[in-house]
Amino acid sequence: MPNEQTSVPLFVANTVLTASQQNLSAGTGVPVFATTVTRDAAFGGSNKALAEGQLCYLSSTNVVQYYDGAAWATVGPSTASGLTFITGTTFSAQTAVSLPTSTFSATYANYRIIFNITSASNDANDYIRFRTSGTDNTTSTYSSAAKFLSYAGTNTDTYAVADTLGYTFGHGTAIGATRVWDIINPQATAYTLANFSGNIAFGGAGGYGGGGVGFLATTSFDSMTFYTPTGTITGSYKVYGYSNS
Amino acid sequence: MATQTVRPTVQIGDEVREMNDAEFAQYEIDQAANIARLKADADKETARQAVLDRLGITADEAALLLG
Repeated sequence: MPNEQTSVPLFVANTVLTASQQNLSAGTGVPVFATTVTRDAAFGGSNKALAEGQLCYLSSTNVVQYYDGAAWATVGPSTASGLTFITGTTFSAQTAVSLPTSTFSATYANYRIIFNITSASNDANDYIRFRTSGTDNTTSTYSSAAKFLSYAGTNTDTYAVADTLGYTFGHGTAIGATRVWDIINPQATAYTLANFSGNIAFGGAGGYGGGGVGFLATTSFDSMTFYTPTGTITGSYKVYGYSNS
Repeated sequence: MATQTVRPTVQIGDEVREMNDAEFAQYEIDQAANIARLKADADKETARQAVLDRLGITADEAALLLG
């Protein structure tokens, strides 16, 4: 990168300040290094003063760091932990809503999805399917188990084995439904597991539900579909990737 | 005169379109399966209520018994 430097000049009396040195200073504001190795080398030497408060930028990891007097610490963006936004959009009066192809990639092993149905044409069930290269997987490989407690206190359980879709209770015309999903290993050639919880509905009654859908085969997926067999849904979704480390 | 079927729409990312042939065929299969699931749920509820009626207790009372 043009801004990367390999030394940090220390000026003394009668030292000549060159144009390139001045341009580098004006162009970056903080010194830019390729790696932590070149950073440490640049601040080395008996006539260099690495002191608390020194800033730098590392091209290798795209982070800004500060020196706290004893060690370098990352200001941000940090790649060490957290969620990264991948995609999101709104939808209106749809029967099926699919994430874009390649939403799931090798970049992240696990994903969080906030899927919010704000209104619906019917009180109806919601299903999911995983997807590869633009096509839903409809094999009898989905197993589902979920619990629902209505606001009125009625418990309902549901389960299915070797089904062609994942079952997640439903939504209501009055309250919609909001599910927070964690999708585990969709891209890897391993079982894909999806866990959800949220304020949802069953038979038009609102309440809280949670459960899991397992795709019990080692298929690699790049997307998934949220689907209602009755009427249409309106709302939005946001997808985030969990940092791998 | 031929009638044109208006198929449900799907949204993929920001693209909205009608279901293609394969998707619509699966949609019809899913609808039939969903009706069967709803009937099974209703039958289960009917059977549950029939047991409560024979016992002469309410659902809340049954829940207390099963504690």
